[in-house]
Amino acid sequence: MSAPVLAKALRDHRRGVAGWSVGLLCLLLLEGALWPSVRDMTGMDELLAGYPEPLQELFDLEAMSTGVGFLNAELFTLVLPALFIVFGISRGAQSVAGEEERGTLELLVVTPMSNTRLLIEKAAGLVAAVLALGAALFIATMLSSALFDLRVPVASGLAGAAALSGLGVEFGCVALAAGAATGRRGVAVVVSAVAAVAAYVLYVAGLLVADVGDWSGWSPFHQALSGGPLGRELPGSSAWLLLGAVAVVAASAPVFARRDVRHV
Amino acid sequence: MGSDHASAPDLPAVCTTGLSKSYGRHRALSNLDLSITPGQIFGFLGPNGAGKTTTIRLLAGLLRPSSGAAAVLGLDVVRHRDEVQARIGYLPGDFVGYPQLTAREYLDFFASLRPGTDRQHTHALAERLALPLDVRIGAMSHGNRQKVGIVQAMGHRPELLILDEPTTGLDPIVQREFLSMLRTVRNVGRTVFLSSHVLSEVEAVADTVGFVRDGALVAQSGIEELKGRALHTVELTLTGPAPVGRFERVPGVRRAESTAGGVRVWVEGSMAELFRCAAPLGVERVATHEADLEQIFLGYYEDGAA
Repeated sequence: MSAPVLAKALRDHRRGVAGWSVGLLCLLLLEGALWPSVRDMTGMDELLAGYPEPLQELFDLEAMSTGVGFLNAELFTLVLPALFIVFGISRGAQSVAGEEERGTLELLVVTPMSNTRLLIEKAAGLVAAVLALGAALFIATMLSSALFDLRVPVASGLAGAAALSGLGVEFGCVALAAGAATGRRGVAVVVSAVAAVAAYVLYVAGLLVADVGDWSGWSPFHQALSGGPLGRELPGSSAWLLLGAVAVVAASAPVFARRDVRHV
Repeated sequence: MGSDHASAPDLPAVCTTGLSKSYGRHRALSNLDLSITPGQIFGFLGPNGAGKTTTIRLLAGLLRPSSGAAAVLGLDVVRHRDEVQARIGYLPGDFVGYPQLTAREYLDFFASLRPGTDRQHTHALAERLALPLDVRIGAMSHGNRQKVGIVQAMGHRPELLILDEPTTGLDPIVQREFLSMLRTVRNVGRTVFLSSHVLSEVEAVADTVGFVRDGALVAQSGIEELKGRALHTVELTLTGPAPVGRFERVPGVRRAESTAGGVRVWVEGSMAELFRCAAPLGVERVATHEADLEQIFLGYYEDGAA
């Protein structure tokens, strides 16, 4: 079965994924290079023990004395999730709304291909791009670990990369869906960014406030990060990320199929 | 797919009933009733902002009507959108291609979206328009980009071609070639729906013309009929004096006025009576100006405005 729109989407994402992968590699190598000096610091444990408990949990500070803990605290709990989400949102907003604003979407629509099929192929291209970036993150993590003796187990590296890819896919699909439903890239970016910030707030609040704790399971951040994220294994709750992504795209499909295609 | 479908004689290629489109309070198109016989070139005329593009985008299935309905090739464009879209070729008024692709890559991409596209035919069309296939669209002149759009619309031999201001940016030679391509399409039984505000190109190819103004169809008629109804100006240079009153009584003459060497008359339809009347007066020279669509067109607007 041929999927021309998916094939073109992959081609379009190629350069972006390559550039971002190089960036991730640099980031991981730079951070890894710091590890030997952090490991050899004296009094690190006493220093960390003085941090408030929620903060310790948020950045997984307890484990800061191991390579895995170090990477989690420094990169995998905030910086990398943010990067994956930014990547997902920018690509997702571009996929349909960006084409519509540039004026190239209408000819794609005036073909035998249905709008729903078009949306599915665009979503598949987006997911593939985020997964490719996740693979690059895995390689960068293992490379950095090998070079600087971080001792990250392969399974943990995989779990971390998968968790962050899940976040990128989730919010990327929110942007794709919002763009498909409205035809406006700005709306797609704002909606998905607000959703991401709200999800992060819910996740953090869950750690700080006992009453919120029960609710934080709904946050994609909780689903992705609660396992480490560069951790023992990928938490089962991360399946919700994919389910959420599928749900938002599916919800936007009937809107996209019925609305007017905007004229530039 | 292709020409065998196109000549189903009973179904109009395009049929709209009460087709309307509003954006908020702005009414872009109101109650358009249009029926286009297959196998002809239909020229859709009107000034910018009259509703031409709205109509075209409704027919292409890009917009949903606010009320009324449109059938293309016998199919309702809302209910059978994908099928309609499979059987038409569409060129938007402001065609935008993917700048990073070459024309060949772009056309191949669209060929893969439309199963059954004959790539050789596509490339032959490109050659006919002198379109350089291996140049990136982003590096092309406006005229060449427009050619990519035209080939994209025609490459799969659609039964109905919907073209919004297709000759924008084309130089006159290419324009002529393009119009002859449209005649070829018509001659094998397919239909062309062509919008324009350039009257001369519509006059050169169209079989039927519709005028739209302020979101409503003002008139639709065959081009010959339209021209037959049009006034011609005849300037007669006479050897003797010019009896203006006598000319005014000639059947078909709408108006007459004297000029330096003779008389100028405006005549509708046949000129036989006019020349019978003029012959005894010693006609030295005759100059006639055939009414072009522009005058007819402006006539419609003036009537409407009055």
